[in-house]
Amino acid sequence: MDFWREIFMALSRNKLRTFLTGFAISWGIFILIVLLAAGNGIMNGIGEEFSDQSKNTYMIYGGETSKPYKGHGTNRSIWFNDKDIRFLETEVKEVDQVSPCIYQSGFANFGDKSGSIFVQGVRPVFKDINNTKMLEGRFISELDEKSSEKFIVIDDNLRKKLFDDEVSPLGQFVIVSGIAYKVIGICESEGRSDGGNGYVPFSTLKKITRKNWYWMLHFTVKGLETKEENEAFTEYLRTQLAHLHEFDPDDTSAVYIGSRQEGYLQTMKIFRTFELFIWIIGFAMLISGIVGVSNIMRITVKERTNEIGIRKALGAKSRSILASIVTESLIITTIFGYIGMWLGMVAAEVGGNVLSKVQEGKEISLNIVPSIDIRIVLMATALLIVCGVLAGFFPARNAVKIKPIEAMNYR
Amino acid sequence: MIRLEKINKTYFGAQPLHVLKGIDLQVNEGEMVSIMGASGSGKSTMLNILGILDNYDSGNYYLNGKLVKDLSENEAADVRNRTIGFIFQSFNLIPFKTAMENVALPLYYQNVNRKKRNQIAMEYLERFGLKEWADHYPNELSGGQKQRVSMARALVTQPKVILADEPTGALDSKTSAEVMQILREVHETGITMVIVTHERGIALRTDKIIHLKDGIIENIEINNPDSIDFSKEIK
Repeated sequence: MDFWREIFMALSRNKLRTFLTGFAISWGIFILIVLLAAGNGIMNGIGEEFSDQSKNTYMIYGGETSKPYKGHGTNRSIWFNDKDIRFLETEVKEVDQVSPCIYQSGFANFGDKSGSIFVQGVRPVFKDINNTKMLEGRFISELDEKSSEKFIVIDDNLRKKLFDDEVSPLGQFVIVSGIAYKVIGICESEGRSDGGNGYVPFSTLKKITRKNWYWMLHFTVKGLETKEENEAFTEYLRTQLAHLHEFDPDDTSAVYIGSRQEGYLQTMKIFRTFELFIWIIGFAMLISGIVGVSNIMRITVKERTNEIGIRKALGAKSRSILASIVTESLIITTIFGYIGMWLGMVAAEVGGNVLSKVQEGKEISLNIVPSIDIRIVLMATALLIVCGVLAGFFPARNAVKIKPIEAMNYR
Repeated sequence: MIRLEKINKTYFGAQPLHVLKGIDLQVNEGEMVSIMGASGSGKSTMLNILGILDNYDSGNYYLNGKLVKDLSENEAADVRNRTIGFIFQSFNLIPFKTAMENVALPLYYQNVNRKKRNQIAMEYLERFGLKEWADHYPNELSGGQKQRVSMARALVTQPKVILADEPTGALDSKTSAEVMQILREVHETGITMVIVTHERGIALRTDKIIHLKDGIIENIEINNPDSIDFSKEIK
């Protein structure tokens, strides 16, 4: 009790010193957090910009055999079926999600308007694989796929053909080859032609067309981080498909295996470099924070050498002096470190809100919204506190060690 | 009370400095002695050794019948706290503590509770006429007041020995006389006292003057301080 009263008194009677020490610590932590948040914000912005290349996806198309194999002749078409899907989903550990494609082409009608359409039956993951950008409404969901809903997502080209500007297509029914689909979303057209595109749940189109062979399979993969890994995976896939469909594994025209690995690997490389950069900056900031905090603690203790000498002459034991100095620095660093941490997080939050307001409605600008990882913040704060206390401890121990007369006459 | 036997002390710097060259000295209980000498004669070093603020290289130092040699930090702290009271030229008060808190500080290190030690501190301040100044900080006090606070602090633990290093060095002659009068009164309660000074006027008010020169005791002069009027200014 007496001990704490002494400490509180020493802190409150030396307001300026307490404040300056505390400010150095708060400032160090504040800057560190704001910088980390900004770095993370830039990372997120870049991540969004490259989102179409942030997943490694594969697509396989059926081709025609060019070599005879096991009694089969050449020029045999290879089509995929449910067995291939099951194989990919259950036996290939690298495969994450599969979206087979069935297609149907024909005409879409709404009222007295009509336009040509290329309909694909796909699963929800197709949106990510194809990087489909939604303009209105939503894409096909798991639920739609499960219950084979007659929903359709149309692209902008088709919308222009079928709907007047003042009519909202969402919730309207369009007729495609005699079947009425409810429009649930509108997506960006994919450039190339002005022909209309539509996406419906895979299970729905499968039932309608009664097809059980597919011209193409899309799937996402995990864990293939190098060119070598991707090449080995492609080789493995071809061998397995050759086994399932009985074609020569060396026959490269039987199936085409393509991937976005190049873009993906490049994006990952950029990401990693930038991440490393952010870490280096953060680390440098942390070091300078530690140096700043340590310095002020060191100076504070030096300043108190006379006081330490007087206390020793009056009969204070080294341990008791050391305990009060360390406790004092612990209290200062903890309280002010905490304040700096909160101010930093508030600043990052406010900065984020302001930035997202500014960026609203601008299409091209990089979306830099600062964000913070609370664990890193806590760890950095704890580290600064520990270093601050240690930086106070060592000079204090030295000051306590020297002869009282030297301490008293110090300066 | 104090016995020094062949005390040697050398400061090892760029050029080793043999400061005390085999000092033998006896100060009896209740005696008031002064140490005089030119600067560099070793008088401050001797006082620091007596106060266990500094160590010595060879010889023996007996304080209150006990050998003071190679004490651990904690033992030294205990002896200082219970046996010795210090008075310094520059007062050495802690600036962020009030007069009362400064006086009470040695008792804090004896684990006396707050109420009790403030009460004792107040008694001593009252004795030195500083009751009204108890809540003032050192920078609000005059030199004489500061020295009276530091005397109260030196006495608050009821030590056996008072060691004073140029206690009047920072004071004018009138205040010096006051301080010496108080020290004399304190001495009359039976406390042993060693005062380092370079002012003959101060030294004459002690029972014995030990003259130090170049690290050895040159001679010891016996005084009759009772013949001096202590209320008079020191010249």
